[in-house]
Formats: sequence, structure tokens, C-alpha cells
Amino acid sequence: MNSPLTVWERLLTLSHVLADTPMLAIAMTILAFFAANSVYIAIGRPVWLPPVVPAATILAGMIALLGLDPDSYREGASWLMLLLGPATVALGVPLYQNIHHIRAMLWPIVLTLPIAASLAVLYTLVIAWALGASPTVMASLAPKSVTAAIALGIGGIIGSSVPMLMAALLITGVFTTLCVEVATRLLKITDERVIGFALGLNGHAIGTVRAFEISSTAGAFSSLGMSLTGLFTALLLPVLFNL
Amino acid sequence: MRATSVIHLGSSWAPPMSILRGFLILVLFFLLGESLRLVFLVPISGGILGLMLLTLYFMATGGVGNAVASASQALISVLILLIMPGLTEIFFISGKFTGQWLAVSVSLLVGTFLSVVTTLVLLNVLARKLPSGSNNHE
Repeated sequence: MNSPLTVWERLLTLSHVLADTPMLAIAMTILAFFAANSVYIAIGRPVWLPPVVPAATILAGMIALLGLDPDSYREGASWLMLLLGPATVALGVPLYQNIHHIRAMLWPIVLTLPIAASLAVLYTLVIAWALGASPTVMASLAPKSVTAAIALGIGGIIGSSVPMLMAALLITGVFTTLCVEVATRLLKITDERVIGFALGLNGHAIGTVRAFEISSTAGAFSSLGMSLTGLFTALLLPVLFNL
Repeated sequence: MRATSVIHLGSSWAPPMSILRGFLILVLFFLLGESLRLVFLVPISGGILGLMLLTLYFMATGGVGNAVASASQALISVLILLIMPGLTEIFFISGKFTGQWLAVSVSLLVGTFLSVVTTLVLLNVLARKLPSGSNNHE
């Protein structure tokens, strides 16, 4: 029973022991980030593939290969994700640097925001309802275009399931970047301010990452779209779900 | 372009102390946002409140300091790194909602496509129709 483990046995259990410290998760995440960068450049930066997708796929593959528990990985990675708070605040810099663009577009933005942010919720809810989704599922899908930290707060009020809410957010974010890519081509829209705002309003942080790849102006409009949608939806949904 | 610039962080733009000072300012604004959220019980995250407060602060003081600018650029360039861990969740949760997946995927995909098109068309049309001389705000 108490026989000491052989070197080989200790080696096999190493990833689980190291997983008890956040360092393994942090190293894996950064490693996957650089690996995904190389892969993305090697396949010629296809516009239909948002770079977060190869990044997350490689990372999930590493977690599976090492046989780690996804929850213990995320616990470790939460040390890295702490930086999301100051990184969100940091979006204020490009926002301010583009304030003249925003002022010039103030009224179109003020009019578009409530309509588009309401429809982002309603389109999905109506389709889900027609397909027979349960009330919990509906409550989990409703905040789909809101940045994660705000969405989780709304979810607590309207009764969402947290894992499903997170999945809805992520799928929406990734699919938004694809839709914007396709729709701007079909509609022949080239205005970076419009593209950025649509990315942030619908695709929250994931859309904003994509917008910063286009330009700093697109990124600023995306940050604005993300913030305003977060504010608006946080006010709208608790009222809507009380009816 | 963004992807490769990540490696040179801190060496070429600004001295590390300056980035650290900028990072401190960002963290302080985040904490200010969190404090407002907790004291007034608003359902808005501290990060978003901090973002808005920082923008208002720049508008009041009329500029962005070098320290904040370099810290901000450093963080924004690794934004993907910070959202990757959450994204992996997609690969490990499937199966928990069997029976609802059709409604979930169809409503998310179709709903998102419709709202993207709505946003693009609406803002594009309004931006052309409304005169851009609405600078009288403030």
C-alpha cells in the first residue's frame, strides 16, 4: 500500500499535481496563444475564422491531452482572467482617442442602440420560443450579446443557467464576427465605424477583439457598442422577464 | 500585425515603470467601478463602469497620459489571451442540455445573423441620412 511511487508513476501523475497551482494553467494558456498565432499566420489569416477559435481549440486540445479536469484548469486560468477587469477599463483609451468620430456619429448611434440591442434579444427569444425552448433556456439565451461580467449579473436576476449562458455568449461572439464578415460583403458596407459598432453591439468582447484587428477606430466603436449594449440590456432584461 | 507586436511589449514603447504606473491607474479605475457597483447595487460590471469613468476622466482633463496609453495598448493586444480560457468551456459543456440543442443553436445562429444585419443597415443608413454636424453636444 505505502510502497513509494516509481519515477515513471510520478511522471504520469505530474500534470495533475502541477494543476494544483495556477502556473500550469497560465503557461498552457500563453503557450496556446502563441501556437494559435503561428497557426493563424501559417494558414494566411482567413477572414472567416476569428483568431479566438484556433486559440481556444488548441487550448482545449492541450487540456484534453494532459487529461486535466476543465474546471481545475479554469480555476488556475482565473488568475490570468483577473486582468480582464483592467483590460476592459483600458478600452477607454481608444474610445477617448476616437471621441471626435463618435461625436460626429452621435445621433445615429443613439437611435440605433435601443432598436438593435432590443432586437438582438428579441430575434433569438422569438425563434427559441417557437422551437419550444424552456423558460430557463430562454433566460440563458437572452443576454447573449452582453459582455460576460454583465451577462452573469443579469443571469442571476432573470434565472439563467450559467453554463448555458456562457455557451450562448461564446457562440454569439464567434458567430457575430463571421456574420459581420459575410454581411458587410453582401451589403457592401465599408465604414469602419459601422462595422466596429455592429461587432461590439452583437459580439461583445469577442467582436471587439476582431474590431481591433481591423483598426483602432473600429475597435473604439466596438468598445462603445459593447459598453452601451451592456448598459441597455442590463436595464431591459429584468423588466422584460418580469412581464 | 497585432499578433506579432505582442512579443515586443514593454521593450520598445515605454519604460516598464511607465507601463506599471499606467496599469495602476487602470486597476484603480476598475476598483472605482467595482465600488460604485457594490455600493449602488447596479447590474453593470466594474470593468464597464471603470471604462466609462476613465473616458469621462480623459474628457475632463483633455488627454491621455503616456503611461495609461502604453499600459492600455499592452492589455488590449493580449485581449484574446484573456478570453481564451472562458471559450474552452464550449468544448466541455456539450451534453448537459440534450433535447434543447436544436432550439438553442438555431435561435442563436439565426437571431445573431438577423441582429448583425439590422445593426449594420440601421447605423449605415442613419449615418448617411443624419447630418454629421451634430457636434453641438456638450
